[in-house]
This record gives sequence, structure tokens and C-alpha cells, in this order.
Amino acid sequence: MGLAILLGTFGLGIIIGAPVAFAMGIAAAAAFFYEGFPALITFQRATAGVSVFSLLAIPFFVFAGEIMLHGGIAKRLVRLASALVGHLKGGLAMVNIFSSMLFGGISGSAVADISALGSLLVPVMKERGYRPDFAVNVTVTSSIAGIVIPPSHNMIIFAVAAGGGISVSKLFLAGVVPGILMCVSLAIAAWIISIRHNYPAEPFPGWRVVGQAAMDAIPGFFTAVIIVGGTLSGVFTVTESGAFGALYAVLLTLFYYRSLSLDGFTRAVVGTVRTTAMVMILIAFASSFAYLLALYQVPAKLSDLLLTISENPIIILLMINVILLILGMIMDMAALILICTPIFLPIAKNLGMDPTQFGIMMLINLGLGLCTPPVGTCLFVGCAVGKIKLEQALKSIWPFYLAILAALILVTYVPGISLWLPSLYE
Amino acid sequence: MIDTFLEWLRRACLFAASAALVFLVISFGWLVFGRYVLNATPTWVEQSALLLICYIVFLGAAVGVREETHIGVTLFRDVMPSTIQKVLIIFIDFALAAFGAAMLTAGIMLMQFGWDTKLPMLNIPESFRTLAITSCGGLIFLFAGARGLSRLLRFKSYVPEILQEDV
Repeated sequence: MGLAILLGTFGLGIIIGAPVAFAMGIAAAAAFFYEGFPALITFQRATAGVSVFSLLAIPFFVFAGEIMLHGGIAKRLVRLASALVGHLKGGLAMVNIFSSMLFGGISGSAVADISALGSLLVPVMKERGYRPDFAVNVTVTSSIAGIVIPPSHNMIIFAVAAGGGISVSKLFLAGVVPGILMCVSLAIAAWIISIRHNYPAEPFPGWRVVGQAAMDAIPGFFTAVIIVGGTLSGVFTVTESGAFGALYAVLLTLFYYRSLSLDGFTRAVVGTVRTTAMVMILIAFASSFAYLLALYQVPAKLSDLLLTISENPIIILLMINVILLILGMIMDMAALILICTPIFLPIAKNLGMDPTQFGIMMLINLGLGLCTPPVGTCLFVGCAVGKIKLEQALKSIWPFYLAILAALILVTYVPGISLWLPSLYE
Repeated sequence: MIDTFLEWLRRACLFAASAALVFLVISFGWLVFGRYVLNATPTWVEQSALLLICYIVFLGAAVGVREETHIGVTLFRDVMPSTIQKVLIIFIDFALAAFGAAMLTAGIMLMQFGWDTKLPMLNIPESFRTLAITSCGGLIFLFAGARGLSRLLRFKSYVPEILQEDV
């Protein structure tokens, strides 16, 4: 009965459109009350849920991304990408994908990626004769790379949701190859479409310009090197690395690039507060929710249910992926990481899957959910940036979905793709 | 009048949370500098950060309630007839206000429990940590309650945002 109250209240909250975080909080309070616990446990756990040292990395990562966006680092990365890959067929699409790989790797946020790169590249692509839906679709789908290429705050959320037994350094390393794989798959899809539509290649600017662009962008790219390198080397904790990276980005854009205005700084701070609060209030109330799910043995029950359908790991992983894809279509990423990790991770572990590999699989899967209707934050932001209708984007997005699905299948069934790099580090 | 006050309150919360974030970043810079350059780790940084993050999150969350920016799935509600949409939106406002009131009450109790326990390194009562969720509860009660009441009072003329494009 307690489980029915928990899931029923939460489900009702979701259906009527209540904020997910508060739907979880209300459901948890109701279940605690039913079980005879004082409802204030919900709020005690919520406070304890955000007072976690490793979670402090989230505001720092988000802040670093916001500073890059408002401080001109993103523009420099686009310039570098343009000089390097702009001369390929469908050059600006390649620039878009390559920029996502560079910028997303630092900001770790798909939405920040679209806002930053989309507003720079989509108008230029349209001007150069690319179809608006193609420009938007490339921007939207390539933004998912930022979720798996380190540093990514979603990896921290996953590590916390997994109960803290997963190394963030290992997750950082595990995301590199799948991130690159996704970008390569998308680049192939974009290249084929570019040939069909005869999209132009930009003239190669010469190695001198490439060198200049690289010299200009490298100090900005160093933000990611500090965060990832600091964490991997063990010199800093992930939180300290995030803070140091954010401070570096501020000092760089303020004194070296001289492109961070007071207005830009204020926007970055306020944007960080809004994003941090939105993500971490979910974590706060998810801690009570996940505690109750464990109390009612939901992961074990679901695992038994899946095993009655099939005992074949390939089929079960496929089912988990399908469930995550469906959930990803209707719910946002952070909330799903927090709700689904305690449920599906034990099942994956029972099948012999490494938790790190599962994490990367889950991030790609839920990332794809950000680009799918009816609830696709990235798709909506992309359409707004590109000034096109959702239907227009959806008509031609399927080759990119296929490219990401191909990467997802490979990451799911080939452990080496995500685990090879961490194994070298160990 | 009330709306002006609530708007001022929203701005004050956003300013306080932003100031806390800037202090958080600077204090961590000082931590790294102290540890590696001065060879003297400022031990208060970690505890103050864990305190400040509560204020950033809970004040920011209250601002999110006022600005209606929290993640929610409105897909099912959006396909319902406009009257039902209005009823549900107002119901959510009041549910949030009730949850805020519960948060406020529980927060006050938690503050009372924690008054004699000191936060390590900072030597201030633990209640300062729970003050964040207490204030968040009070603010959500005000923001969501006032909005729900305002929408209820102008029920006939109120048009949900999703339908405003069609008007």
C-alpha cells in the first residue's frame, strides 16, 4: 500500500504537470506519513541530500560553462573548429559537430551547448544555403556529446544516484570514446546528407589561420584540461577541480581575453543559480524518494519481473534501453537519472555489466530523450534558436537519431568502448 | 501591491543566492591557494560551502517556483480542455503552497532540534543549515499561494500560458 501511495502520488503529480522535484517530495512525505514516520524526514533528507561535498562540483561545472558562454570562449572554440574541419563537405555542419565536442566537453550541458553554438552557427548555416531544419538538427543532436564528454555534471548526478560507489574519474574517462563515437556517427550522417543536398565546403583558410585559431582557443580549452586533469591526477577532488576550472575561466575571460563584461558575469552567476537550484532540488527530494524505493524493494521486484520475460542479458539490456528511451521522451534527464539509477543499476550489475558502462549508456540514452518530442528540451531550444517549427525539424531528424542509436547500441553491447580508457588509467 | 512585494522578495532571494555562489567560488579558490601555495588549508571552506549550497539550492528553488521554471511534464495537461487545465494549474499552486507550509513547519522543528548542535569548523548552530529549507518553505508558501489565489480570483479571465499563443 505504501508503494502504491508513493508511486500513485508521484504519477498523479506528473500527469497534472506538477514540478517533478515537488511531486517527488509530496509523494515521499505521503509515503513516510503512511508508514508512520514523521513527514519531516522528507525535509531532513532533502537538506542532507544537497549537503554532499561531491555535489558542490555541479554549480562549479555549470558556472564554468556559463562563463565560457558569456565570456567569449565558445566563440573561439567555434573559430578553431571552423579552421580545422570547415573545408570538409557540409563544412559548417562538421564545424557544428566538432564545436559541440570541444565546447560540450567543457560546459557539460546540452542546453548550454545549443544556446552557445546554435545562436552562432545556425544563422550562418542558413545564410550559406543549408536548410534550416538541417542546421537545427545537427546542432540539437550533436549537443548530446556534451553530456558524455567530460567534464559533465550529469556524471556527478549519476555517481550520487548510484550511491557513491562509482568513481567520477572513471566516469570521466569512460565518456571520452563514446562521446567521440557519437560525434563521428553524427558527422557521417551529416556528410551523407550534405552530399545529397550539395551543401558547400568552406575554403581551407591555411595552416597559419589554423595555428592562430588554435593559439587563441587553447587557453579557453584549458578550462576542461584543468577540471578533468585535476580530477584524474588526484591533485584535486572533483569539486576542487570544478571550482578551480570556474575561477580560471573567470580570470581568463576577464584579464586575458578581456571579453567578460559585468553584464556577462552577472548573467553567468544568475544562470548558474537557476540551473543549480533546478537540478539540485531534484536531488534533494529524490534522496527521500530513492530511499523509499529501496525500502519497498522496487529494484528487486522489477528485476524479477524483467527476468520472467527473459533471462538473456541482451534482451534485458534492450528492454532497459527501450524503457529509458520512452521515459526520456516524457521526462527530463536529471530527474530520470535520479529515479532510474537505483532501479536499473542493480539489474545491470546482476547481468555482469560494469556500473560505469551502465552510466554512460544511460547518459546517452537519456540525452537522446532531450532531442525527442513531446518533452525534448534541446529540440525546443534548437527550434527556437533556428526559428523553425518543431514539425519542420522532426521531418528530417531521423538520420541523426539513427546515428545516436547506433552509438548507443555499441556502448550497450561492447563494454570496451566505455571501459577501455578507464582500464588504461587503472 | 502584494505582487510588487513578492517580486522584490524574488529579486532579494536571487541576489542572496548569487552572492552565496560568488562567495563559494572565491572561497574554493582560496582553499586551493591556501593548500598548495601557503601550505595551510583553510579548514572552514568545506563546511561553509556545504552550508552555502543549501541557501543557493533552496532560495533558488523558491525563485524557480515564482518564475515557474521547475522541470515538469505538462504534456498531458496541455491536451486537456482549457477549463480543466486552469483547475489543475490552480490545484498545483495550492498543492505547492501546502507543501511549502509543511516545509516551513518541519523546518522550524528541525531548527529547534539542531539549535544545540554546532556545525563543525564554523561553530554555529546546525539550525543555520535548516534555516535554508525553512525559508524555502515560507517563500514557496507565499509565491505559490499568492499566485494560486490570484488565478482563482480571476478564474474566468485567466488564460494558461500554453493557450495564450492561440488567443
